[in-house]
Amino acid sequence: MRDRQLAPIVRCVGLEVGRTRAILPPIDLELGRGQLWALVGRNGSGKTTFFLTLLGQLRPVAGQIHWASPRPRIGYLPQRTSYDDLFPMRARDVVSLALDTAWSFARPRWREPTEVLAALTEVGAADLADRPFRALSEGQKQRVLLAKLVAARAELAFLDEPTAAMDAVAERDTFERIAELTRRHGATVVVVSHHVELARRYADHVLLFDPETPAVLRGRPDEVLESHEYRRSYRPPAPGGPVPEAS
Amino acid sequence: MTPSETATWGDFVEGLPIFRDAILCGVAAGAVLGPLGVYVVLRRMVFVTAALSQAAGLGVAVSFYCAIHLGLDVPPIVGAIVTSLLVTVALAGKPEWLGLSRESVLGLAYLAGGALAVAVGDRIAQEAHDIASILFGTAVLVRPLDLTLLLGASAVVAVVLIVGHRGFVAASFDPDGARVRRVPVAALDLTLWFLVALEVSVATRALGVLPVFGFSVLPAMGALMSGVRMSRTLVLASILGAASGGLGYVAAFFFSFPVGASQTLAAGLLLVPFAIARLVRRDA
Repeated sequence: MRDRQLAPIVRCVGLEVGRTRAILPPIDLELGRGQLWALVGRNGSGKTTFFLTLLGQLRPVAGQIHWASPRPRIGYLPQRTSYDDLFPMRARDVVSLALDTAWSFARPRWREPTEVLAALTEVGAADLADRPFRALSEGQKQRVLLAKLVAARAELAFLDEPTAAMDAVAERDTFERIAELTRRHGATVVVVSHHVELARRYADHVLLFDPETPAVLRGRPDEVLESHEYRRSYRPPAPGGPVPEAS
Repeated sequence: MTPSETATWGDFVEGLPIFRDAILCGVAAGAVLGPLGVYVVLRRMVFVTAALSQAAGLGVAVSFYCAIHLGLDVPPIVGAIVTSLLVTVALAGKPEWLGLSRESVLGLAYLAGGALAVAVGDRIAQEAHDIASILFGTAVLVRPLDLTLLLGASAVVAVVLIVGHRGFVAASFDPDGARVRRVPVAALDLTLWFLVALEVSVATRALGVLPVFGFSVLPAMGALMSGVRMSRTLVLASILGAASGGLGYVAAFFFSFPVGASQTLAAGLLLVPFAIARLVRRDA
């Protein structure tokens, strides 16, 4: 249903990603506004490299990235392990980081902007505002980080394994909130996930990276997750054999 | 002046005009190295200041050597700043290109700085006492020029820390997210290390290696043990650093300790109540 919406927010044409040489075939891709994409692939398949290339942190090996005009506001949540628990930060401090872009940090700010508490309230985390970020559970931390995206009014958000280290309930809760983010704000979200069933349930589209074939598949969840490439990457365990690690 | 074992408060007050500059130096250095140290500790680069202060000590020794043996009049503070900045540049590089970690570059800078300072110091026997004072922090008095330079450098560092506060926090806590928001993370990192190099080199010349290393680690540790907010942690680290500089000097006077060691010990003692409070809170 969301596919009815508008022009793509970003379009990749023959995009080849890698640090020194292409690690995947050229990627042709359009991300529409308000879409929720799940990015699936085994460890080392190039998911983070793809993210970093789109985010402008790595140069494309080849191909082009065409952004909508005006260029959308982009949010990025790296893997949770990127946030050091040593830092004395309250939940509201973490959210307020999202309000600074470029050199705006040099402008004095005497009071906390109202967007901070509003964003925390929107993701159901207002009661966590004054608690130390490091003392929160994984699910609570992820809610605070989603509030950061809301506060930044991100039009395109990249989330790198947001449900890592969560229990099943917290994972489902997080995916529901991500889906809600796309519905309510019309944000486009690309989420790297280990959990294919949650991706199937919540995502509009799935992008699969298979460096072995090598192949890049995109499409509706059922199309991609029933494909030969997907089954080859995540082949079912032989009876009594070890279960392959997903993603 | 050598502090007396039987010193009284009256003696201290009487001698205050003589000690005042040295106390001010300790307070100013502690007040600024404290919050700088918060970033250093949070980035797990505690030995940056040790390496920088050793490098500054080497710079001072080289300055004396140039003056005595080569007839080149290089002010020691210039030598200290130059060698500290060289280490900063090395740290800002990419040690992984050499297959090394940043930590090992720190170790190299520390060892090379310390060994070279001692080796150069051996060739300038007439200044040996000055070199020892710098390396081990036994300076009781400071020259007016050192005080002026330290106050000036501290003021610059404090202003930059305050103006760039939100940027430094973002670049330290969430560098990837900050880069995506076009926050100049690389420039902020370089600025931070430049500030550390500047303050360490000037403070090392005035106070010595040991208290400078102590001020840049211990107050930050105390503040981090108590803090849940970054801004308050930085302010608390500044207060603890200033208190260490001042109280350490007073303790040195009354107990006849070397000043640098006394200031470092004061910083360590001020840490204790925060550690106890943290442990009590954890058990509660």
